[in-house]
This record gives sequence, structure tokens and C-alpha cells, in this order.
Amino acid sequence: MANTVIGNTIVIDGEITGDEDLTIRGTVKGRISLSASLIVENSGVVEADIETKHVEVSGNVTGNITAIEKVELKADGRMVGDIKAPRILIADGAVFKGNVDMER
Amino acid sequence: MASVKGIGIVESPNVTVIGDSVRVRGNLSGDEDLHVLGRVDGRIDLQRTLIVAPTGIVKAEVVVKNAIVSGVVVGNLRATESVEITREGRMVGDIFAPRVIIVDGASFRGSVDMGDIENMPVRKPSAERPRPAMTARPAAPPAARAPAPAPARPATPTPPPARPTPPPTPAAPPPPQAEEEEEEEIEDGPPELSTEPPAAKGLPQKAQKARVVVKRR
Repeated sequence: MANTVIGNTIVIDGEITGDEDLTIRGTVKGRISLSASLIVENSGVVEADIETKHVEVSGNVTGNITAIEKVELKADGRMVGDIKAPRILIADGAVFKGNVDMER
Repeated sequence: MASVKGIGIVESPNVTVIGDSVRVRGNLSGDEDLHVLGRVDGRIDLQRTLIVAPTGIVKAEVVVKNAIVSGVVVGNLRATESVEITREGRMVGDIFAPRVIIVDGASFRGSVDMGDIENMPVRKPSAERPRPAMTARPAAPPAARAPAPAPARPATPTPPPARPTPPPTPAAPPPPQAEEEEEEEIEDGPPELSTEPPAAKGLPQKAQKARVVVKRR
């Protein structure tokens, strides 16, 4: 399956949907809905409500995340918003403000 | 880094890829190349090149530097440099660009505006054409498509035999008589080889003549 990459200088204002992994190095505002993994890299900025299977945040996320499997906030990650997922990992160094819901 | 399957796109830091199952709705802007293998609805605003792969669908108002369309584009396309619609490309909408290339096989409906044609500088065709390091063209489809267009366009298969015929010209230009003879030789070739209807013969012969003359200069 192809890999989708939103590069450093790209700004998307709207909605992204899809069935494949998405890597964000740029800026996305709006809504993201995926049936695969979302990776927000260091340079990535996401201001969106996110619905995916799995999320990995090393960049900046503002918005609510709902994941079917897992949400990982890496050491460089910054996140403001609510997380709902059966497994949630917050690494040492990560910045997070919001509610966590691990109910299945 | 990983490469996108089926299309020779190798990821680099300055390329954005919208994969084939991904759909973007809204505004997309940036300063890097964008490969669309999936779908984008809305608006695209780039300072670089937009490449719509054969699987890509773009329904948007597009403003870019260069655009290469091998997929589907519906909407107006404004480029500061060039727009190319490849043979797999399909487009409906208006094109505004100083250079517009529409190749044989492409389908297009709309208007083309190349700007101020009267004051346009003379330029060589195919000089510094925007070619991304990788062509967004899979290897398989052209081969698969080949049988279909062949009978429809009998002119295309004939040129190859003519290409090697003109011998490399020596330093001194040959006398004009020799030139005539050689041209006749070339013209003799295709009629024997081809089994096409007479109506179709005219085109390739003219093309060959033109090619020979150009080489002499």
C-alpha cells in the first residue's frame, strides 16, 4: 500500500480520509479519518479531530483523537485535546493536556 | 526510505504524496512537489510541481508552477511555467500557462490561454522541460495499452525504420545532388514495408523528409 506524506511546507485546510498510513510533516487543519496509522512527525502540526487505528505523535497535535488500537505520545510530542483509545502510551518528555479514556 | 509501490516515486524530504486510497477535501497549499495518486477536491496552491499520477483524481482549482497530468483533472489549472497532459491524462477545464504540452493520446476539454502570445520570446521545444527525477508513469499500463491504439493510428509504427537511414554527414557538406538521391532512397523504404492504405502513407513520408532536412542543417 502506498504511503501518503504531507511534506514540510504543505498546509491542508479541510479533510483527509483514506485507508493507508499517513505521515504528516507539514500542517493539517480540519479532520483526519483513516483506517490505518497516522504519524505526526517532529515538524508536523495538526489542528484536527482525528479518527484512526493508530496514532504516533512526535509533533504538535491540537484536537481530539479517537483510535481503535493505540495512541503514542513520543518524547517530542505535544498534544492538547482528549484521547480515546484502548491503549495509550505517553513517553517521558511528552507534553499533554486533556482527558484520557481507555474504555473499550 | 520506502518507495511508492508500482510507480517509481522515491520519497524525498521535499515531496508530498497523496496515496491512492487517500482523499483530501479542502485547501492544500505549499512549496514542494506534490504527487497525487489518490484524490484531492477543493483547491491546490503550490510554488512547485503538481504531478497527477494515472490513479490520481483532482477536482480543484489549481495554481502551481508546473503541472504534469497523467490522471484526471477537473477544474481550472493555472501554471506560472508549464502544463503537460500526458497520453494517460484526462482533463476538463481551462488551462492558463505560458507553455502547454498536450501529447497524443491525452484527452482534454476546455480552453487554453498562453498569455501574451505576440510578445512571447522564441524558445526551443523540449528545452529544460520540467521533468521530475522520477516519472509518474508505471511501466505496465503503456505496454497493456499498446495493442489498442496501434490499429487506430497506422502512422505511428512507420517512423522507426526511417531513423537510421541518413548516414552521418561528413565535415564537408555533400553536393545538393547527393542530397536528393538520399531522400529518394528513404522514401522508397516505407512503401515496401508498409501494407497500409494509400491514404495513410502520405503522413510518414512527409515526416521523414522533414526529418532529413533538419539533420542536414
